[in-house]
Amino acid sequence: MAVQSWIEILKTSKKTALIHDGKRKIHYLFKDGNEMAEEYDLKTDELLVRKWRVKSTLGAQGQWQVEVGEPTAGPAASLDSEVIKENCSNPVFIRKDTKSSFQWRIRNLPYPKDVFCVTVEPSERCIIIKTSNKKYYKKFSITDLDRIQLPLDGSALSFTHANNTLIVSYKKPKEVLTLEQELLKELKKLKGTSDGDMDCKTQ
Amino acid sequence: MATTKVPEVRDIARIERIGAHSHIRGLGLDDALEPRQVSQGMVGQLASRRAAGVILEMIKDGHIAGRAVLIAGQPGTGKTAIAMGIAQSLGPDTPFTALAGSEIFSLEMSKTEALSQAFRKAIGVRIKEETEIIEGEVVEIQIDRPATGTGAKVGKLTLKTTEMETIYDLGNKMIDCLSKEKVQAGDVITIDKATGKISKLGRSFTRARDYDAMGAQTQFVQCPEGELQKRKEVVHTVSLHEIDVINSRTQGFLALFSGDTGEIKSEVREQINAKVCEWREEGKAEIIPGVLFIDEVHMLDMECFSFLNRALESDLSPVLIMATNRGITRIRGTNYQSPHGIPIDLLDRLLIIATSPYTEKETRQILKIRCEEEDVELSEEAHTVLTRIGMETSLRYAIQLISTAGLVCRKRKGTEVQVEDVKRVYSLFLDEARSSQYMKEYQDSFLFNETQTAQMDTS
Repeated sequence: MAVQSWIEILKTSKKTALIHDGKRKIHYLFKDGNEMAEEYDLKTDELLVRKWRVKSTLGAQGQWQVEVGEPTAGPAASLDSEVIKENCSNPVFIRKDTKSSFQWRIRNLPYPKDVFCVTVEPSERCIIIKTSNKKYYKKFSITDLDRIQLPLDGSALSFTHANNTLIVSYKKPKEVLTLEQELLKELKKLKGTSDGDMDCKTQ
Repeated sequence: MATTKVPEVRDIARIERIGAHSHIRGLGLDDALEPRQVSQGMVGQLASRRAAGVILEMIKDGHIAGRAVLIAGQPGTGKTAIAMGIAQSLGPDTPFTALAGSEIFSLEMSKTEALSQAFRKAIGVRIKEETEIIEGEVVEIQIDRPATGTGAKVGKLTLKTTEMETIYDLGNKMIDCLSKEKVQAGDVITIDKATGKISKLGRSFTRARDYDAMGAQTQFVQCPEGELQKRKEVVHTVSLHEIDVINSRTQGFLALFSGDTGEIKSEVREQINAKVCEWREEGKAEIIPGVLFIDEVHMLDMECFSFLNRALESDLSPVLIMATNRGITRIRGTNYQSPHGIPIDLLDRLLIIATSPYTEKETRQILKIRCEEEDVELSEEAHTVLTRIGMETSLRYAIQLISTAGLVCRKRKGTEVQVEDVKRVYSLFLDEARSSQYMKEYQDSFLFNETQTAQMDTS
């Protein structure tokens, strides 16, 4: 079914693995030209980073969009300072999964816990964070569940607030857990170029 | 104590420069395509303007690809003006690419590559694309200019929706844009995140009670809802050439070493043609065939003409307008003579519009329009004298005299150009005929005189 089709897409994609810095790094190139990169911790097998690069309609290569993990603040980010960017005092939204649940952390939110209201919108397939003081609002979807087209469940959601950080957790459904196990097994079979310099082909 | 100089804040509003054809705003036709005697900066040339109007309708319909038009006529009879008129009437959404025949000769690019790039620049594709925009009501805008007057300005912009509020840091370009658009607290604005383009939607309803001085056209809008950053579909027009360039860039780190686009592989072009056709069939995109205008077309050589023959047959081809002022002359790159310097087989595919010399009355009108354009006041007698000059020498020369005479007039603190001013510049600057005459008289005293005549014989 839907779970199967996503597995198929993953299987048919061109995968390149690399072990570096205590991380297993995998690069997927899909048939439609989109790219996905993942990084797993070698010891704990936890997903550290997942990012996407999607081709625009006209065929131009976009920027890497971080789905899981800290956004990269490379030199490219500072070059864009000519235009407009968010102030560093604004809330920062990142996703950081654990073994058993999807988790989102929003830093820089210095408001008490009762200000926040986190709800699931099953019809729109998204989670909405609202604040009663009208300072923060965020609507986001769980991309993992979208890809395998699982319905959202309100009871799986919980949130806590500490140290100016709001943590929203959503328990991973059984299907996702088995899928991740399978994928990890598959990835471990991939022969990654181990640590060190790859031979750089001169084109 | 050193005195600190407060730097002036310069206005960024641009002043348009006056070009040779800046007075032309259209073809000057009425709804029935009948030309008006004087309209939209066009004077006379009724038959050719009417013909251009028919061509214009054909372009607007957009169904017919690969038609070619030649505008032929003596120098200074309004060939380029008619092409400009067509461009102006088409509006900003239809691509209009203008180039001169000699522009395609370059050492970096082959002639046919330059021509195919020009062809593809003249075809637009209207397509939907998703872009990220920021939409919100301005709560506060704060711009700090450094006390020394130099260095980067620092700016902060607070935007809100009904649900949230965010502070943004502004870059220099953004600050300039904001001050140009005169954005202030209470305005509802959208910012295109990629390009930094700002557009004002109106003022927020919550500010409707402010007793500010505001224009009658001020619109009141609701404060936006939900998130500040949204993904929105926008429709825009890109040329096929732009898509080519995007897709032909060297990928990866090699992109750092390839500066210019250079030549584009034909495989890339074919892929893109297929892709665009696919989009069109799916209803995602719309093809807008535009106009390619080649001025001084006799400067093209035989290879280019045969390329044009072939290119016009493609179904992704724009309407080609060419202009020339040559009579029967040698085709460049061959020893054959041909009308307009264009091979007969290409001429056979063309619709030819002829322009005729202007009458005295028309010349008078054009000079009047140019005077208005260049902001020069002309007395009645001076106008008559200038018209005579225009008839006897050339229209271009008479137009040149307008601004020079205006300058002379201003130097003597006059407000209106008099006959004396025109006479003075007429004596200062020679026209072509007088200059040739002068050459004939004093030929012997010029440098390299003997060698030149010897060369003339051999060629």
